[in-house]
Amino acid sequence: MSVDVREMAYADLDGVVALEEATFPSPWSRATFADELARPHSRGWLVAEEAGVLVGYGGVMVVDGEAHLMNIAVRSDRRREGVASALLDELVARARELGADRVTLEVRAESDEPIAFYRSRGMQLAGRRAGYYGPGVDALIMSADIDEVAASAGSELILAIETSCDETAAAIMRGGTELLSNVVASQVDFHARFGGVVPEIASRKHTEAIVGVVDEALEQAGVSFADLDAIAVTYGPGLIGALVVGVAYAKGLSLATGLPLVGVNHLEGHIFASALAEPDIEPPLVALVVSGGHTSLVHVPEWGVYETLGQTLDDAAGEAFDKVAKVLGLGYPGGPVISKLAEEGDPRAIDFPRAMMHSRDYRFSLSGLKTAVINHIRHEREAGREISVPDLAASFQAAVVDVQVAKTVRAAEELGVRTVCLAGGVAANPSLREGLREALAARSIRLSVPPFAFCTDNAAMIAAAGTWRFRRGDRLGLDAEAVADLPLA
Amino acid sequence: MSGLVLGVDTATERTVIALGTLGEPGVRMLAAEEIDAPRAALGRLLPAVAELLGREGLTTAEISQVVAGHGPGSFTGVRIGVATAKGLAHGLGVPLYGIGTLDAIAWRLAREGDGLLGVLGDAMRGEVYPALFELDGGVARRREGDRVATPAAVAAEWAALDRPLVLAGNALTKHEHLFVDTLGERVTLAARELWLPTGDGLIGAYAYARSSEGADLGTGDPGALLPIYTRLSDAEEAERVRHGGAS
Repeated sequence: MSVDVREMAYADLDGVVALEEATFPSPWSRATFADELARPHSRGWLVAEEAGVLVGYGGVMVVDGEAHLMNIAVRSDRRREGVASALLDELVARARELGADRVTLEVRAESDEPIAFYRSRGMQLAGRRAGYYGPGVDALIMSADIDEVAASAGSELILAIETSCDETAAAIMRGGTELLSNVVASQVDFHARFGGVVPEIASRKHTEAIVGVVDEALEQAGVSFADLDAIAVTYGPGLIGALVVGVAYAKGLSLATGLPLVGVNHLEGHIFASALAEPDIEPPLVALVVSGGHTSLVHVPEWGVYETLGQTLDDAAGEAFDKVAKVLGLGYPGGPVISKLAEEGDPRAIDFPRAMMHSRDYRFSLSGLKTAVINHIRHEREAGREISVPDLAASFQAAVVDVQVAKTVRAAEELGVRTVCLAGGVAANPSLREGLREALAARSIRLSVPPFAFCTDNAAMIAAAGTWRFRRGDRLGLDAEAVADLPLA
Repeated sequence: MSGLVLGVDTATERTVIALGTLGEPGVRMLAAEEIDAPRAALGRLLPAVAELLGREGLTTAEISQVVAGHGPGSFTGVRIGVATAKGLAHGLGVPLYGIGTLDAIAWRLAREGDGLLGVLGDAMRGEVYPALFELDGGVARRREGDRVATPAAVAAEWAALDRPLVLAGNALTKHEHLFVDTLGERVTLAARELWLPTGDGLIGAYAYARSSEGADLGTGDPGALLPIYTRLSDAEEAERVRHGGAS
């Protein structure tokens, strides 16, 4: 929904006074507002509207080159949507016209959200007025150079932390798009000899690595904790013991630094990875998230709204690759080695089942395919025939890809979206990429595939999604839990 | 160095938070909060830290060092305390030190009297984390490092010492009878509320560790502190058995 900001008029006062009374414990009167509107040479008063309905307002007074921000109020059901930021941008522009070069304001000392908001817009603590809002209720004074506030629009500096599976990752991002550092400590070598991720080992490695990974992300970005506006952390879905390490660490960091903490759904992060690589990507879209832990088809009508169309009923796609590779003695992870072998093989050599291909829904099932591969190998060995590993790899891969492509294309067509995002570690599979690209191109639907580094687990995608959530005002409290089966909602 | 010490321990079903003041001579206990929160430490720990600081009129900015009970105990439980403490110490730019969870139990009991103390942490799967301490004039001196063992083996070892022994630790909830039967009249059970770590035990153990007599506390680098597990992961354990390396 788009917000329009315009000059406040006397006709707006009924709505403004009602919102003032609903927002502040000691509200200004109608007469006070009327008096303000009568002083246009030193005041700027603006209202924000959504489809002609008042959703917020704010004012600024300029005296001797100093802009004093007065009440900024946003309707309670329209908070966290950038209304305050839109008002602030216009108020700053107005203050500049009135000759201001500095901005200052008072805010209730216990109002964490407004304080975090003004901090994110470049305002620094400048003092405290005891009892300003009544006995025991102090005001914090915040101020900044007006250029700082203007430049801060969309320039939040976020540290993101990701520990949901077997990568310990941290990233620093400015403004939701400018990636300053992206550090991933992969544990793959520690898990490889067990043929899959061992949750207890993953949790131990995260505990060992987390401080060093964050330090490296800060160092590469050339920033310190004091420069940050917020911390974002993956709090699900994923391996519970692994998630716990990132969430516990991030919460400790948040309490220590006073920085707001933003929780990010890992799958939302994967979907944001597309927008990171192709900033013009916009919903409505359909996202196919395929990795070692997830196989989900998601409808995204707008950012932040997710309708999971279907998931795997058993194994994730990446897991199926790992298990087949293990059976063939090809090592871990299975995806890269199988897709490499498949290049040499005939995808039509063995007719493996396409499970749920015609199920008329968007669910997937991959454990039957894995069993079919195992049975095929046993059958051929018993018959004394040599197995062509490339043919087997190609045929298995084709069975996975065919179902993923068919369901994704059908979802895009049925929902009428023009954009499909492919995300997750399995998005690195060339056959899946090409299969989708061809099928979608034939229907003039755009396919977005992030670069490989943003497909596998990383914190850059968590920073991108975290910045978006930060702007909406979404916060995790100190009591936050890690949620292994966190739904995408 | 002066300032405020924050201690946390979540290795058991009890979430422990302790505040101490650092000065001459050593560390003094200021306040503690102990919450029975089985499997709920992640959600309960930091709100309780913030509340305790607020109640004492203190802020995080005054914390000059963080101490974490680093096990042995529940793997995930220990990691919650250690990872939270890493975040706190890293964010504050202060050192982080580890104290054994069994030491935090022993140091509280050192105030109850002198003699030999056996602490038995619950290691699950029918095993225990045993540690022997010599209590002497309010000091708890460790006689052995952390390990994991069967209750029967530990009971037999401790019976062979042929000395009166006080027992504590949450493994007694499951194995009390075995130890009482094996050790007979030589054994006394500590009061049940002292089976788990306490805030003053944690601060006491830390104060001793800081003193010249104490063990090496390490560099204080928040990245360097690790949990004490005593066991490999199951996957590594199974691999070790397969390769004939098991004891």
